[in-house]
Amino acid sequence: MRNLNIYIALLLLLISGIIFWQSLLIPYYSPYGPGPGFLPRWTSGIIIILLIVYLIQSIRIDFISISEVMPKGEGLVNILVTLGAIIVFMIIIPYVGFNVSSVIMLTLLFSRGFKWYKAIGISVVVTFIVFFIFGSLLGVPLPVNEYGW
Amino acid sequence: METFQFLINGFGEALTWTNLFYCFVGVSFGMFIGVLPGLGPTAGTAILLPLTFSLEPISAIIMLSGIYYGSMYGGTITSVLINTPGEAASLVTCFDGHPLAKQGRAGVALGVSAIGSFIGGCVAILGLVLLGPTLSKFALNFGPPEFFALVFMGMSLLIGLMGKSLIKGLIAALFGLMIAFIGIDQSTGIMRFTFGQTNLASGIDFICVAMGLYGLSELFISAEERMSKKAEKPAKIDSLFPRKGEWRPTLNSIGRGSVLGFLIGLIPGTNSVIPTVLSYSLEKKVAKDPSRFGKGALEGVAGPETANNAYSGGALIPLFTLGIPSSPTIAVLLGALIMHGLTPGPTLFQKEPDFVWAIIASLFIGNAILLILNLPLANVWAKITMVPFKVLFPVIIMIIIVGTYSLNNSLYDVGIMFIFGIIGYLLKKVDIPLAPIILAFVLGKILESTLIQSLTIFNGNILGFFTRPISGTILTISIIAIIITALPAFKRRNLVNEDVEM
Repeated sequence: MRNLNIYIALLLLLISGIIFWQSLLIPYYSPYGPGPGFLPRWTSGIIIILLIVYLIQSIRIDFISISEVMPKGEGLVNILVTLGAIIVFMIIIPYVGFNVSSVIMLTLLFSRGFKWYKAIGISVVVTFIVFFIFGSLLGVPLPVNEYGW
Repeated sequence: METFQFLINGFGEALTWTNLFYCFVGVSFGMFIGVLPGLGPTAGTAILLPLTFSLEPISAIIMLSGIYYGSMYGGTITSVLINTPGEAASLVTCFDGHPLAKQGRAGVALGVSAIGSFIGGCVAILGLVLLGPTLSKFALNFGPPEFFALVFMGMSLLIGLMGKSLIKGLIAALFGLMIAFIGIDQSTGIMRFTFGQTNLASGIDFICVAMGLYGLSELFISAEERMSKKAEKPAKIDSLFPRKGEWRPTLNSIGRGSVLGFLIGLIPGTNSVIPTVLSYSLEKKVAKDPSRFGKGALEGVAGPETANNAYSGGALIPLFTLGIPSSPTIAVLLGALIMHGLTPGPTLFQKEPDFVWAIIASLFIGNAILLILNLPLANVWAKITMVPFKVLFPVIIMIIIVGTYSLNNSLYDVGIMFIFGIIGYLLKKVDIPLAPIILAFVLGKILESTLIQSLTIFNGNILGFFTRPISGTILTISIIAIIITALPAFKRRNLVNEDVEM
């Protein structure tokens, strides 16, 4: 089971299965013709058939090795840090506001290429510029903490 | 005559200092994004879209059109100088552009590309001026069956032309269609696939999907390999113009590329790679000595680059006249038009003539600015390719996040974009193309509403489509196109085209 195709097919099958099941709960007909469940039921039904074909193809001929296409070593760390930084940003932003969460996220991201103190410095500058452009110039109400930043 | 009067009025509107400024900013930003390898016109337009939120609709679309054109051309610079296409349509330019750079003629390759892009763009815009109003008048007679047939044709061509395998292309398109169903059903008001989440009631925002699938996922891929890589030193640029004897074949290539690119732009469901590939093979076929190709033939740069830009202009015709996007980037433009309160389609020329003609005029101006920015500043753009990825990467992520947030001032959108970023990353790993997802997602709502309206007209009889001449003809062509593209795929099991327009 080192074939990435199989996992992707199963993931998409799960999503399509949920949509198909949900589409069964929506009216197929309306008083004037096809209803809101008509096209979703056909679409999810057809994609399920195609995904089964894809799954069979993946098992029989289309082998994409996880170890070959997924990152290893430094590449894997880069991806994990990137994912982690974005998740941390989204979790803490409602509590600490945009500026603090942005500095934390950017420090994590810049730390992959710079020393930690340089990473913090660049992050503060970038955050300030982004906050100024979006918050002040473009008037986007970025989330702030109780101190207004 | 009336058309040209409108165009002159459009120039009057577009040539205000404010709009000229936005056009200039758009082209510059677009060039900047295009120069960065990995981020192409779709991601660029989506990422920079929030910058236009506070602008008037005309200025906003002028800026976005500038971004679109600029990013298309920006990709050429990296193709020629460091053999790395900034976006898929510039891939063909690497074939002869980089060998030219190695011979010390990088400036000529860039100069010819800029001149070709300018001429191609102008020819396409002229086509838009001449054909747009007539087509939109004609399209006013279209009912739901005709629109359904057009959307179906777009999707059928798209499936056949994208992706390494037909099955994967189909899965991608149907996946895009499925996520388009999320939200309140327009005809009955029933909530579909929202799982109790009120944030999903109005559906998933198209820009979140585009930013995630095209922007974030591409950054994830780049983060795997390029974080510690040092940027390659670009070739030096000196003379920008071809030699005396090279002008004639170059201009011929530009002429052929203009027509080819424009015509392909008219077909919904195509993408900018097709005209560049076709133009390259056409140039090779008509050349006296085809063996020069791949070793630094100027026609191999001039033709495809012209076709690429002519395609960009041609693709605006189905958008403005029918409201149907031809490519993922045009789909982002469609999203932007809707966001600024405009409805692309047959009535746009009638209801918003000031807007349409100002945009068309600004496209001419944008092309001229592109030429001015390219020729004398080629060395400056070349230096941008030297900015290390470790500096750009966090900044671009930040802009994507803030940009997505600013759509509706909602962190929920950021979460959706993040999820699509991961989905896009995984799908790329297994060669499932992303372009069909985006296009099917955008076309999904039109497809569903026109299908249901048509079936209601035909009392549920699906053959009713073939009783109307236009819808019947378009559907027949689409079915033939599907058979033509599917047959070799079944025989060979695979199609060989790559996903496009990152």
